[in-house]
Amino acid sequence: MMSYSMSRNASAQRLWSGIATAIAWIGYLFLVLPSLVIIPISFGGDDELRFPPRRLSLSLFDQFFSEPSWWQAAIKSLVVASATTVLALAVGLPGAYALARSRFRGRRLVELLSIAPMLVPIIVLGLGMYMHLAAMSLVDSLGGVVLAHAVVVLPFMMVSIGSGLRHVDPALEMVATLMGASPLRVFWEVVLPQIKPSVMVGVLFAFLISFDEVVVSYFITGPASTTLPVKMYSAIRWEVSPVLAAVSTLLTLFSLAVCLVIMRLQPPQPRAD
Amino acid sequence: MIHTLSPRVVAVLLLPFAALLVVFFLLPLGLVAWNSLYDQGWTLKGYEQVATSGLIHRVLLNTIEISALATFTSLVLGYAIALHLAAKPPARRAPYLAMVMLPFWTSILVKSFAFTVVLGDAGIVNQLLGWVTGGSWHLEMMFNRFGVVVGMTNYLLPFMVLPIMASLLNQNRNLYLAAEIMGAGPMRIFLRITLPLSLPGVYAGVLMCMTLSMGMYITPALLGGRRDMMLANLVDFYTRQTLDWNVASAIAIVLLAMSGVLLWILARVQSDRAGTMA
Repeated sequence: MMSYSMSRNASAQRLWSGIATAIAWIGYLFLVLPSLVIIPISFGGDDELRFPPRRLSLSLFDQFFSEPSWWQAAIKSLVVASATTVLALAVGLPGAYALARSRFRGRRLVELLSIAPMLVPIIVLGLGMYMHLAAMSLVDSLGGVVLAHAVVVLPFMMVSIGSGLRHVDPALEMVATLMGASPLRVFWEVVLPQIKPSVMVGVLFAFLISFDEVVVSYFITGPASTTLPVKMYSAIRWEVSPVLAAVSTLLTLFSLAVCLVIMRLQPPQPRAD
Repeated sequence: MIHTLSPRVVAVLLLPFAALLVVFFLLPLGLVAWNSLYDQGWTLKGYEQVATSGLIHRVLLNTIEISALATFTSLVLGYAIALHLAAKPPARRAPYLAMVMLPFWTSILVKSFAFTVVLGDAGIVNQLLGWVTGGSWHLEMMFNRFGVVVGMTNYLLPFMVLPIMASLLNQNRNLYLAAEIMGAGPMRIFLRITLPLSLPGVYAGVLMCMTLSMGMYITPALLGGRRDMMLANLVDFYTRQTLDWNVASAIAIVLLAMSGVLLWILARVQSDRAGTMA
């Protein structure tokens, strides 16, 4: 009797965990397959996208690098993402440090403000930014895009650096200050070396988010400032050009590299606190 | 003893941060609020449109429907993935976690393009179907609700998996052992222990996904049809096509308010949990 119910229990357990594992695998495949399937297609070189490709060729990549409207958009995106990252770091690093090492009234509010751009629907920010930049006649300028992107990526920068600072022992800074080091020197020689990995994570976040940002950019760019995502958006929307397969492959490999670097820098051990 | 900076240093360090956010975040949001109430004089015309226009009502309904559907499919797939991840020993979790994180890092345009290639009329799925059935079968999977929900689920999944996994990993393993020794079957253990203890993660994931999907713009524009327009697309439509900033701003404010409510509930859920754990 006992052994009967035990074995029934065991086989029921196998069945249920089998079903759960199967659904999980459907989920994994659903997550990665669509982006990965583009890679072989991009090497097909046909004008018609085909899977599996009939022959191997680099002609789509050739088209990407020889068509100025494509590679110029990519260059603009690289420039914008670099400038955005520098600006967000210059603003976010001192900001995050000040928030982590101070107690004042309204600090919670400033903290909330620092992550607010991440919480607001991006389209609302896009519309507001468009009207704002239009009033300053900064629409269709790379400078405007950089300023807008800096706001979009700032929360990610602040959160990464902030979490690094939480793991730094303030006592060290105390000692350095007592021994006569200036605040700048304390930050540069005591704090920064300890939070380097989190700063790197923030930088990668900022760069990639800016490089991929499309909604706000779509509102505030024009012919002179078309970034790669804006160009891709109209290409998917209006023509579905095969070059997109090559662009997608390049971007997927880029994302994969960044994803692996971040997982190395900051083993994602999500905690509930 | 906590090392704190002097107020003057704090003020100097926070100045550029505050300047950037005031001028390029709060001011633009303020402009949206202003334009939703002002059109050559104070007016409620924009909000009246939102309240009475059949088009806007339909789109609002679409938005809620599509968001709920995508959140639900994300929950089913995401819960199974989270269970699978949580059961793995930490050392062997990384490759599976990478499969969840890679899409999170992939441009939404790459993913949308991938889905046009997979789901399109001449796409991979239809080619396969045609080959299997000898050309008699064909599925319309793009420019309709199916396409939008598939694309959105793909985007939302990581946001569902991570909080659920976190709450699964937080559970005390001894509870399972005790339940098993006392003779509880796997289904019973799942329903009475695993599921209730993971609910905070589920709430967090669901609210996060609802908030994100309400504001989606790219996926409905690229994978949906005319009847799958969502609020974000409508904002764009009124800004660009009809050049009516007043109505566009009013819709944007409604969208902002809806996600504000969802986030407020999320914050409440989180603080309740923190309260019970303390």
